[in-house]
Amino acid sequence: MPVLRSKSGNTDAPSQYKQPSRKGKKAWRKNVDVTEITKGLDELNTQIIATGGVLADKPSTELFALDVKPDTTIAKKFPKHISKGLKADEIIAARSAVPAVSSRKRPAGDKTTDGVLPVKRQRKEYVTAKELRRLKKVADGQHDSTVAVVDATYDVWADPEPAPVEQELENFVPKKEQPKKPKTLHEAPISLSANGKPIPAVAKPKGGASYNPDFTEYQERLIEESEKAVEAEKKRLAELEQERIKLEAALRSAAEAEAAEARADLSEWEDDSAWEGLESGGEELSVKAKKPRRKTQPERNRIKRRKEEERRLKHEAAMKKKAAQEHRIKQIALEVAEKERQMALQKVELDDADEEGDDENLRRRQLGRYRLPEKDLELVLPDELQDSLRLLKPEGNLLKDRYRSMLVRGKMEARRKIPYKKQAKTKITEKWTYKDFTLE
Amino acid sequence: MGKLKKKGQAGQAKNYMTRTQAVKKLQLSLPDFRKLCIWKGIYPREPRNRKKVSKSSTASTTFYYTKDIQYLLHEPLLQKFREQKTLEKKISRALGRGDVGDAARLERNAARPDQTGKPRYTLNHVVRERYPTFIDAVRDLDDCLSMLFLFANLPSTSAVPAKMIARCERLCLEFQHYLIKSHSLRKSFLSIKGIYYQANIQGEDVLWLVPYKFNQRVVGDIDFRIMGTFIEFYMTLLSFVNYRLYTSIGLKYPPKFDQTMDDQAAELAAISLEGANLATAGETKAITNGEEQKIDPKVQAQVNKLVKQLRNEANGEKPDEQMGEDGEDDEEKATDALDKFEPVAPGGDVLLQPSYSGNDPSQLFSKFTFFLSRETPRQSLEFILRAFGCKRIGWDPILGEGSFTTDESDPSITHQIVDRPVVQAAMDEEEGDGEDNQTSRKLGPNQRYPGRIYVQPQWVWDSVNDEELKSPELYAPGAALPPHLSPFVKPTQGQYDPTIPLEEQQTEGEALDAEIEEAMEDGDEEAGEESEVENDMDVASDNDDEDEEEGSDGAEDEEEEEEDEDEDEALERQRELEAEISGKAVKSKQLDAKTKANLDKKKALEKKKKEEAEDLERAKGMLSKKKRKLFEQMQYTNNKKSAEDVKLRSKRRKLDKEKAAKKA
Repeated sequence: MPVLRSKSGNTDAPSQYKQPSRKGKKAWRKNVDVTEITKGLDELNTQIIATGGVLADKPSTELFALDVKPDTTIAKKFPKHISKGLKADEIIAARSAVPAVSSRKRPAGDKTTDGVLPVKRQRKEYVTAKELRRLKKVADGQHDSTVAVVDATYDVWADPEPAPVEQELENFVPKKEQPKKPKTLHEAPISLSANGKPIPAVAKPKGGASYNPDFTEYQERLIEESEKAVEAEKKRLAELEQERIKLEAALRSAAEAEAAEARADLSEWEDDSAWEGLESGGEELSVKAKKPRRKTQPERNRIKRRKEEERRLKHEAAMKKKAAQEHRIKQIALEVAEKERQMALQKVELDDADEEGDDENLRRRQLGRYRLPEKDLELVLPDELQDSLRLLKPEGNLLKDRYRSMLVRGKMEARRKIPYKKQAKTKITEKWTYKDFTLE
Repeated sequence: MGKLKKKGQAGQAKNYMTRTQAVKKLQLSLPDFRKLCIWKGIYPREPRNRKKVSKSSTASTTFYYTKDIQYLLHEPLLQKFREQKTLEKKISRALGRGDVGDAARLERNAARPDQTGKPRYTLNHVVRERYPTFIDAVRDLDDCLSMLFLFANLPSTSAVPAKMIARCERLCLEFQHYLIKSHSLRKSFLSIKGIYYQANIQGEDVLWLVPYKFNQRVVGDIDFRIMGTFIEFYMTLLSFVNYRLYTSIGLKYPPKFDQTMDDQAAELAAISLEGANLATAGETKAITNGEEQKIDPKVQAQVNKLVKQLRNEANGEKPDEQMGEDGEDDEEKATDALDKFEPVAPGGDVLLQPSYSGNDPSQLFSKFTFFLSRETPRQSLEFILRAFGCKRIGWDPILGEGSFTTDESDPSITHQIVDRPVVQAAMDEEEGDGEDNQTSRKLGPNQRYPGRIYVQPQWVWDSVNDEELKSPELYAPGAALPPHLSPFVKPTQGQYDPTIPLEEQQTEGEALDAEIEEAMEDGDEEAGEESEVENDMDVASDNDDEDEEEGSDGAEDEEEEEEDEDEDEALERQRELEAEISGKAVKSKQLDAKTKANLDKKKALEKKKKEEAEDLERAKGMLSKKKRKLFEQMQYTNNKKSAEDVKLRSKRRKLDKEKAAKKA
């Protein structure tokens, strides 16, 4: 044996592969004789079953014991046949040294195996109907939130650490420029209030909204709200009336048309009379030609007087009209002044009353296609007014309130829920074929 | 001639972009675009001239700034959206082929970013971008808090998953803990919608609205996808805000959250704060009731023993002190540590006494122990009481875990908050010992524990808003409560304020008028026997007053007031005439010296007013027409308002007088 030996690798002299040729039928797996190997394996198995391990691997202390003293008491205690026992008992009592495989059912995902038996193949591909429905939804774009909301672990507003100043000599690649934020990004959204002032996210509550309000404040609010409700109701009734009138007119015109048709039918009958020779003559209606004649002096005077009178009347009418117009102009001027005053008043009131827009009076032009949802009436009626917090029935819906607040502050456009997709219109026709008819 | 410009190449046409154009440019689906806009804070805009901007004639098109959209192209979130879109495509393709297993695998892999190596995305960078400084974020916290508190109180549905609700709740609790710790809650208001809170965070007022418990109806016409998008952003924002706030007062974020306590409705007590630095990191600060979460049985036994001993001492040795006095007085005496300034010699300078009202309002309830009856709103009460310094709050076990005590008979309780009607005494006698409901087992329906103050919940709110302890008699159970006024309405000069006594708010002229009137009425009463006619007239005028009270419209009232004045003059004339007929002297009534002085004063005041008005008129002449008009309008509205206030004050004066008459 060489004294110096490399720590790894084969130290033998190089030689040819010992494996025989792989060519030919002899190399086929079924023709290879493996009895020797199987025998060896069987032997090993029996060893393992008998002793719990491979004999060759065990240390000799486990295999052998030095029994120096004989146990003399045993022979005395039992008679020979009992101590020896029956052969049948011996066979039955024989136990494998290897512990039995537990009969516990394992979960499907557990892929532990002894390497001998194949793992039972799972039906991994099976997807439940519920899962399938969910998948379809996901494919349709309706998935759960993909945002991971985790607890903050750092301060976003902390000043970022100054970037290390790089030496320009070595850096040939130009630094990637961050996109610049446009100025428009920080512009406030369009407020939808009538006065165009920004609407606060949470308006400061007035005293009238208290659960146990002051009487005057509550009364003010109640009157205001009831006036609004009355106005709305009046508007609704007026619209109904309009509708009714329209419908009536339509009905009337339809009836008239019918009547006209009926008359037309009748006239057909009258036409028939012509055929019977009862037609009235048309020649009698002819006008005789007027003969030219000189106007007499009295006639001329009469005409002159009439013309004079006509001119006078015309002038008077014109003067009257002018006077009326002047009067009207004065009125209009007054009205305009009053209106201006009102407008200015409103403006002043708005100006000094609140620097914030209110979400009740909205401007006419809104964002998007749909109208904003109406604000809920948040008012406890006088008969429901309680002075105990326990008995309070909360009014309004905060969800709707928040949603509307977003819209009113111009954060997004109003949307409407469309419960069903627009379906393609189907037209049903009866199909006629030659087979449906029979000639007799 | 300059160069010809083509239409639609510059100006407004280039500055704006329709929504469809934007969606196409970003290659997103419309819902994704909406989401991105909400997160990034890009809002619809309105061009000055729609016709110049859009070629289409639809009036309802939504526009965005082109530059905003251009900037969105750099957004890292965009990539994520696109990835999601490709995934959707893959899944739908697999489903179309019938490869359900494949589709499931694709989806599974996407949902497990830890295994695929693709991280899930967060909105952290958006928070910094939208709110460059912390103060910016605090300024915009109103909406965020309102939304999160609302969602924390929603029932879970398919649209609002339970996970989201739990998260909202936790964030809100953390925020409340900060407010409690820093005593930054300022005001609160019970409205019919919900409870308003106002806090002052680093100099910024933050106002938010919290719904009442178990009240939220989920209605159909709300787009929960959009609300959810807002909530996702707000959750991230509040988390960062909380981090900043916690670290600013030396606490560790996130605080410890005890799930089992939370399951037992402990609310605030489910979170325990910890110090930020390593030395104190180990010890948890039990904010709740001075109780530790995990109690060592040995220590507990010792503590129990000690407490028992103390209680025995208190009960045995000083029973009279416990039973005899009102809790309020007890407190006053026990803590009456302030020195009193007494004049050294009789007749010396009387010094201003130091008072408790000038005390720190954040420690308003610090000396009391509260007990909440089971009909009171525990969450809000607990929060407010703790924020104003209260350390020990007990409540009925029905209201959840985490109370200082659930034993109503605990002798350390100084205040009990109840909100149930007082049972009639007759009923009490009849029933006697018919104990069928839960309370009667413990205590009779009207029985009270002595040495304790019983108040209705409104007491807490009113005390907090006025920054002083209101007198508890006004808020005793069964008492008619004073109105709960909004603390957010700022009083303007000269406006009628029901909380201030009349003397402080009435103008000089009004006071004089009132005194003169009083004197006249007294005179009337004396003269009443002499002439019946006058009396009749008085009655008539009284009726007029009542009519006036019923009237609501301000303008109408004003007219009526003018009429009243006219009537007064007419009355005077009538009197004179009558005097002439009857041959008596005109002034039959004796005016005493005081009234005369008052009349003189009034005359002087009127004269002064007149002079001032003339000065004003002259000054107005200097103004431009536009400004003058504006000024006139202002005067008009002010007069209108002040007339209303005068009316209210006179009404109050009348009521006061009636009350005084009743008392006398």
